[in-house]
Amino acid sequence: MFKRPSSRRKSHGEHAELPLVPILDTMVTLIGFLLFTTSFLGIVAIESPLPQSSPEEIKDEVKQKEKPLQLTVSFREKDVEIWSPFAKFEPKAILNNKEGNPDAQGIHVALLEIKKKFPLEDTAVLVPNKNSPYDTLVAVMDAVRTLEPTDPPIYVKNEKTGVDEPIKSLFPKVMFGNLLGDS
Amino acid sequence: MAGHGIRGRRSRRKINKAFELQLTSMMDVLVIIVVFLLKSYNTSLNNFTTAPGLKLPISSSPDSPNDSLQVIVTPESMTVDTDRVLDFIQTAANLGSPEANYSFRASDLDEAGKRIIPLYDALIKAKEKTEILLAKSKSRVDGKPLAFEGILAVQADKRVKYDTIRKIMYTAGAAGYKTFRFLAMKRDT
Repeated sequence: MFKRPSSRRKSHGEHAELPLVPILDTMVTLIGFLLFTTSFLGIVAIESPLPQSSPEEIKDEVKQKEKPLQLTVSFREKDVEIWSPFAKFEPKAILNNKEGNPDAQGIHVALLEIKKKFPLEDTAVLVPNKNSPYDTLVAVMDAVRTLEPTDPPIYVKNEKTGVDEPIKSLFPKVMFGNLLGDS
Repeated sequence: MAGHGIRGRRSRRKINKAFELQLTSMMDVLVIIVVFLLKSYNTSLNNFTTAPGLKLPISSSPDSPNDSLQVIVTPESMTVDTDRVLDFIQTAANLGSPEANYSFRASDLDEAGKRIIPLYDALIKAKEKTEILLAKSKSRVDGKPLAFEGILAVQADKRVKYDTIRKIMYTAGAAGYKTFRFLAMKRDT
């Protein structure tokens, strides 16, 4: 006795079709929603705290045995000076570029050297000229705050684990030092 | 007249019988578009708008801004969120000039030209509004309403001079805002 032939052979030619139309409807709705809600503007933020000294902070500073670094980046007519009011390192002057704007790359390189000496320091004070354009300010703030992927790694010992870890930013807290001044 | 004979009629009939919309290739295109949009979908909570004519500086900062009160400084005016609070002085020489001249009216400044009065009033108003909302909110810390954060986002044209930014910061500081977020366009990597 022969086995009964498979029913698949009989149905040869009748292929099942995927219902694409409802999927297409969903896709079109999804694309409409995404186009409507997506923001193609890549906006980033640079955070800066308002410099202020509360009585508690002043008391703490008096108690401190060691003077703070207070890294300061001052814009001058022809150059930018990187210095510490407590003479914690030799001041450096970075000449402005050909256009007369601060040399952000030069500032970044100089700050890298300072960061190697003071790896736990995270604050820098910016003292720009009153005529400095906002564009230049942002470029210098970037140079002060961020570490480029091409920069040499700087390691800091993690107090909890005891393992040396690379730092992720240079001096992330940038504040303005001459909000009340006339310069 | 070749297409109007018996042969033409036959071929038309054939087309009508076998015609089907090529949905598979259309699906492929749509899937690619959906994937692209999902990839570039910005999930951050900010709701910042830009003003026409505003050229933001470019920054390599990795931080994306959260939603907060914002001041927009264009070459013509200053806006707090959506309210235009002051207009800069426009002279014939300034119009169409690449250098933006952000001159304030003398009546708009006080405290030796450091504080911008209309901006101060707008910031105080916004602060009071936020404090009322926080007081009404159910979110509490030790039974007290959440404290006013005092964050101000500054969206300024790249040609604005530091003197103007400094006046804005001084005014905001006087109004109780302690943190500034300078907004910029993300640098393409």
